[in-house]
Amino acid sequence: MLNWFSSVVRLINGEQEIGRSRGFWICAFAVAVGLIVLPRFVSAYALLNYSYIISMVFLALGLCLIWGFAGILSLGQAGYAYGVVGINLSQSGTTYLALIAGLMVPTLFAAVLSYVMFYARVKGVYVAIMMLVVTLLFETFLNQTAGPQWHIGVASLGGNNGLGRFSGAIHEPPSITLGLGSRLIEFSGQSVAFYYLEVGLLIAIYLCLRALVNSRFGLILAAIREDGARVESFGYDVRAIQLVVFCLGAALAALSGILYVSWGNFITPSVFGVTNNILPVIWVAVGGRKSLTATVISTVVLTWLSQRFAIQGEYAFVVMGALLVVVMMLRPEGLITSFGGRKTSASPPLSPGSSHDGR
Amino acid sequence: MLSEGFSLFYQYADSISLLMLSAVGLMIIFGMMGVINMAHGELMLVGAYTTSVVFYAGLPLFVAIPAGASAAAAFGIVLERLIIRRFYGQLLSSLVVTWGLSLLLAQGFLIIIGPSIRSLPTPFGSFSVGGFSYSYYRVFMFVIALAVTLAIWALLRFTKYGVEARATMENPAMAHALGVNTDRIYMVTFGLGAALAGLAGSLFALEAPIEPTFGRNYTPIAFITVVVGGSSDIVAGLIASALSLSAVRAIFTTQFNILIGYVAMLVSAFVLIRFIPNGLSEFLETVLNRLRRS
Repeated sequence: MLNWFSSVVRLINGEQEIGRSRGFWICAFAVAVGLIVLPRFVSAYALLNYSYIISMVFLALGLCLIWGFAGILSLGQAGYAYGVVGINLSQSGTTYLALIAGLMVPTLFAAVLSYVMFYARVKGVYVAIMMLVVTLLFETFLNQTAGPQWHIGVASLGGNNGLGRFSGAIHEPPSITLGLGSRLIEFSGQSVAFYYLEVGLLIAIYLCLRALVNSRFGLILAAIREDGARVESFGYDVRAIQLVVFCLGAALAALSGILYVSWGNFITPSVFGVTNNILPVIWVAVGGRKSLTATVISTVVLTWLSQRFAIQGEYAFVVMGALLVVVMMLRPEGLITSFGGRKTSASPPLSPGSSHDGR
Repeated sequence: MLSEGFSLFYQYADSISLLMLSAVGLMIIFGMMGVINMAHGELMLVGAYTTSVVFYAGLPLFVAIPAGASAAAAFGIVLERLIIRRFYGQLLSSLVVTWGLSLLLAQGFLIIIGPSIRSLPTPFGSFSVGGFSYSYYRVFMFVIALAVTLAIWALLRFTKYGVEARATMENPAMAHALGVNTDRIYMVTFGLGAALAGLAGSLFALEAPIEPTFGRNYTPIAFITVVVGGSSDIVAGLIASALSLSAVRAIFTTQFNILIGYVAMLVSAFVLIRFIPNGLSEFLETVLNRLRRS
């Protein structure tokens, strides 16, 4: 038992991730405790806001996994969140069915897409462009679903207005409701319960992903990012591994979408738009795409900052865009990973052959 | 029958000019320098804004449109010197950095200039065939699209710049060693691409409202055209890609409706990238070589 536990700890604390010192874990523990006691000290509005920020972290983690660890940049990541139309499936009682559908539909869709792409050896920037095409297709399609003939069950798709109280749909997407029999808990977006649900998921998923990137699978991912052909020649099926990681990224995006929808009880096709899909790229690139920890920190900080700048006027996107440009020029590996973490090689990202230093 | 045939042909030509004009600047930058310029739409916006300002200052359109192209070229060269030259040959990094630039510029223009600017009147009027009315201006754009493509081909084929640019594209280190000022070639090439983006923006501004997201209406289709065309031969890729994507779009638009036409074009682009990721130009080259050998 103890043996098993220590091997899990070793996995979580492996070399593929920054923040491995005793000091880091003390800080992380303090942050976790801080998150747990937070609702006692802040207003209900602020808590609602933090719930929103946390729901975005899952989206960023999904992109970090596929871009930073597997080297696949997807330009349509936010779009997966819309798979959540499935959440309307159940109209009463628990939302287990809706949760499963909301997670499975985007993941299966990602599986089909990545089968089409990776098994044809499409790679690099072409994957990014194909994802852009798919995202455009969805935006175009969903924007014209305003009529009553477009519906899933009783939930009408609502075209441009999306799902929710602003559209013609009378049925809003429900909040997450879990429980057995008559003992139900409704995690409505404004509630403290919803916040705790998110914090719990965040801690669990962060630790699981840390273990994942340090597992055999994670090491192969990093190897594919550095030199796919070489990994292939060692006998690994690169296509299958890319497919799996792409699905994982989609599932995380879908989780983010589910949380977002049950937080605000609405969603519109604008998640397929340019702006919504560049924001995750900014969060991940600015923090450091090769680190889950950096991604979490930069997503929280940048989302919070965006809101501050949005209050000041319309400067949020200017600041975010400028930040991305400056970071890409000066610290292409990201701010947090290049200042705080292990040393990364200074070689340009697209020159393999110069970066085989056994990382 | 005749009028239906003309309608199909008109749709086809219209779609070709849209794809060619919006993609040509992007194609040059992608093909020559390996930079995916996501800020393409904002360069188009600079062209559109300038044209509107110059036109309402009282100057005629044949001055206002070149002014738009020149402003975009100047803006593009500034961007190239400051930022983009650090990202040559790095496809993914250049994509990410120019995407950030696009977000920054679009929102910056919105704050500085405001949500809309006076729209321009569409010149030349219309004519009718078989009861349907068509715009002379669309025909004019088609002619311009063909002329621009021809001019690019001639520029790359016959001028000193063209030879040096093609050499730089094939092998920058060797070209540099042989005395080509590759840095200057890159700057001029980016300026040329930006000028063509500005030209497209100016031309489209004559029949669409100008707003900060103006360019974003054209950027995605421009990308699709470029990637479907491929970078091994800029002109051949551009023509092949515009012809094939437009054919799909025109047929589906006349058979069903505009939406289905657009969706069909996107789907066919997806399928083409899936099967020939290096683009139509390389595919055609291989086919031609095979034919020649047999």
